[in-house]
Order: sequence, then structure tokens, then C-alpha cells
Amino acid sequence: MEQSISAINAKIANRSVRVLTLLELQKRVAAVGLSQAAQEVDVVTTGTFAPLESVGVFINLGHTDPPIRLRSCWLDGVPAYSGMGAVDLFLGATQEAEPQEERPIGYGGAHVIAKLVAGETVPLRAIGMPNDCYPRATLETQINRDSINQFYLYAPRGLYQNFVVGVNSGEEIVYTYLGPLLPRMGNAVYANPGVIAPLWHSLEAIGIGTKIFLGGGIGFIAWEGTQHFPNQKQLPNHTPIGPAATLALIGDAKQMDKDWVKGCYFRNYGVSLMLGVGIPIPVVSSKTIETLALRDEEIMAPVIDFSIPRRVRPSFGLVSYAQLKSGKITINHTPVRTAPVVSISRAEQVASILKDWILKGEFTLTEPIAPIPPQRQFLHQDVLNV
Amino acid sequence: MKRRVNLTFPRTVVGVPITYRLARDFNVAANIIRAQVAPDQVGKMVLELQGDMDQIDSAIEWMRSLEITVSLQSKEIVIDEDACVDCGLCTGVCPTQSLSLNPHSFRLSFNRSTCSVCEQCIPACPVNAISVNL
Repeated sequence: MEQSISAINAKIANRSVRVLTLLELQKRVAAVGLSQAAQEVDVVTTGTFAPLESVGVFINLGHTDPPIRLRSCWLDGVPAYSGMGAVDLFLGATQEAEPQEERPIGYGGAHVIAKLVAGETVPLRAIGMPNDCYPRATLETQINRDSINQFYLYAPRGLYQNFVVGVNSGEEIVYTYLGPLLPRMGNAVYANPGVIAPLWHSLEAIGIGTKIFLGGGIGFIAWEGTQHFPNQKQLPNHTPIGPAATLALIGDAKQMDKDWVKGCYFRNYGVSLMLGVGIPIPVVSSKTIETLALRDEEIMAPVIDFSIPRRVRPSFGLVSYAQLKSGKITINHTPVRTAPVVSISRAEQVASILKDWILKGEFTLTEPIAPIPPQRQFLHQDVLNV
Repeated sequence: MKRRVNLTFPRTVVGVPITYRLARDFNVAANIIRAQVAPDQVGKMVLELQGDMDQIDSAIEWMRSLEITVSLQSKEIVIDEDACVDCGLCTGVCPTQSLSLNPHSFRLSFNRSTCSVCEQCIPACPVNAISVNL
């Protein structure tokens, strides 16, 4: 079975498109087999809802009178980068509030972003670089998403294909971006929801320009992501055995929904942004269905020991996502409790919402305008003696 | 019946074998949920008492006669369902497995009756959805 994306879009337009979430497709494959299931579906939706660090928002404030050219800027006590344009800002998710601002512990850019998405008003304070064009020296005001021109989210690394499982073989608790890792392998934390996540499947079906679900609104794949590593070792089923391809994502934050953009904080580590992301996979060939039919039993992540704070950390080998989701894995013959840091139930909800959008004709599919690079060097920053 | 009690012992009573006496004198089974007891210090203990209602009442009266402060209103873990995103991170730090993910829906479920109120889940929650009431 071969079909084009425009043929699928024609079916979306006349409401005859057949859409399944990834979980629904898997149930269908289990019931009727691969080739029959392939005949019954045009689009399969995927989703995830995980904490991200490499993400932020661009804002254009609009000009004040008299106008200001920003040198430094704080949104609700959190520093925003303003070294571009007179009133353009970038607020990063992991930026923490200035200590003297007396915000709650663990309050940062992600929380400000979530407030703005929710329609709340936040205080803005800025210092200018007065000159002939922009005489204003200081600015104190309040903004919300309706009082600013552009408000769009950009995630330099908004999606990861696979990830690691964190454990701690040491004697003391280790605080990480996966949350607290308890000593003596007290827990194992995984960050990818398994096969329902977007990037386990055909990377050829998507590319730069692909329209996606982003934070409850519509976004696009903007570029390859930072730390893009498509050359990661693969299993015979062509899935990577660790962190691999990444994608940069972009979308209008004014259309996003507070349910899908949440600030979070990992104690003694830092701030992150939980973001809902979903990608529709067009079923353009029977090969697409094969990759979509992969089960959690067939995809693996490496168990990494975070007790050693070095670039290369020891691995205890691979475990499958089916094992991780069962709540228990075995490391060195010892059972270790597993817990996700990614919301699997919300990942499934993202896929369901995206499915509804497509069925209602509100969301059409896009041809990628350029491929995600299938090769990329992965460099380390070795410190030079100067 | 079952009743959860919070005990605060004055230093002088720490030497009394409370749970043994509850069993022997009142036929009350005392499950120690949480305890912080050291010689010559004020001790704290959370017990789940199981037995006949009258005998539990008599046992509480007896403990009060020893100048043990018995509080029937015990702390409980509370989950703010509006804030919780069902990420499940708390399930990995819960020693009694009172916090768990439903194996099908992957929604968080909390079994209050097995919770020891150790409070490890509170700082583990990335969205501040877990607190303790009083």
C-alpha cells in the first residue's frame, strides 16, 4: 500500500481519513495482523509529555514611549536575554529567579512561561542603553500574552529519540534532571514513554517543516535538535540503544494551553518545562506500519549509573521499555523499582487529541521541506590548556 | 476496628514497652507506621491500632495516664489532582509502594491506608502537587 501525503490530506478534507493513536494501532495489529491493520489506517498519532531543559520563548514587547533599547531584563524576577533587537527577549526555561527576588525555591523561566501561556500577567523590569534613538533608561511594567507582539516557543532540543535510565549505585542520594536517584540502586528512572513517543518510528516520514502538536497548540519541526546523534548504535530492528536523534521545535505560544505547558523543578538540580508534543505519522507505505508496530518489548534503553559525575558514566546494560513500564527491572540479579519522569497517561492523551483534530479536519499533514540529517558528528568539548 | 494515633512520649516514658503492653493488657495489635525514639529524648510514634473499639479506647486512656500525648488526628499525604501530571516520579521513592501507577492507565493512585507519611514523595514531586495536611 502506497499513498501520498496529499492523498491523505484529501481524505482529511472529506472526513474519510482513518486515524488511530499508536496504542490503538498496536491493539489492531495484535488483533488482525500487520498487513490487515495497514489497510485500515492513514495516520497514526504519537505523543509525549516530558520535562525539557533546552526550551524557551521569544517575546517582542512592542515599543514604549519614549522607547527603550534593552540591556537587561527580568520577567517575574527571572533574567531574560535581551541582546538582540531593542525590545526582543528570550526567556529560557531553566533560568532561575535572581536570589534577591525572593521567589519560591525552584522558581524559574519555565514557571514564567507557564504563567504567560495560562494568560496570567507577570511583572517586567528592565534597564536600557539610552541613546539618541532609545532615550529611556529603565522600565517597570506588567505584561501578559495579549499585551506583547510575538510570543513563540522555541525548543533547540524539544524531542529526543530514546533516552537513558538513571540509577545510583553510590551510598548517597544523587539529585539529577531525572529527579532524586536513591542510593544503592533504590530506584531507576526513565524519561521516554516508550513506543507511544514520536521518534521511535520512521524518521523518513517527518522532517523540517512537519506540522505537530506543541504545548496544546500547533507547532513545527524547525531543525535538527542540539546534540542530534542519529549515528547512535542500533538494534537489528533499527531502533537506537540510547539517546539518538533530536529535533528542534517551534510554535506560537499564544495558542498553547496551560495543561500542556507546565513549569517544574527537580530538587537540588533545577528547573525544567514539561511540554506536550505529538507528531502525526502518515502511513505512506507498508514499511511505515512495520516501524509503528514496534512494541515496548522490542525497544531498549541503557541503565546509566549517575553516582559518577563524569561525561562517560558506567552502564549496567540495556532494558526494554516493557520491563521499565512493568515497574521493576533486574540489575546484577537484584530487582530495582522503576518510575517514569515522563507522564505516560498524558503522552497518550496528546496522541488522542491530535487524532481528534485530524478527524475533525482541523489539522492537516505537511510534506517535510528538508530531511532530518541522517548523519552527524557528536563532538565532546575537551578542555584545552591555554 | 482500626485507628491511627500519633504518640508523643515524655523522656521518662521512653522506657515503657508500649506495643507489648497494648497487646498483653488490651489485646490491641499495634502496627508501627513510623517511630522516632531514643533513650532520654522525647519520642514520637505513629501507630495503627487494631482491636475491639472499647479496648482501643481503654488503651488510649491508659497511654494518656502515662502522660503520653495521644493525638487522633494524624498527618496525611494529600495529592493535588489539579497540579499532578501523573508523571509517576514519586512512585520510585515511596518505600511502602502506597504511591503507584495504574498498570493500564498509568494514572497515579495513592493508597492512604498503607502510607507511612514518610514525606519522601513531597520534595520528589516536580510540580509541587504533594503536601501533608495537619
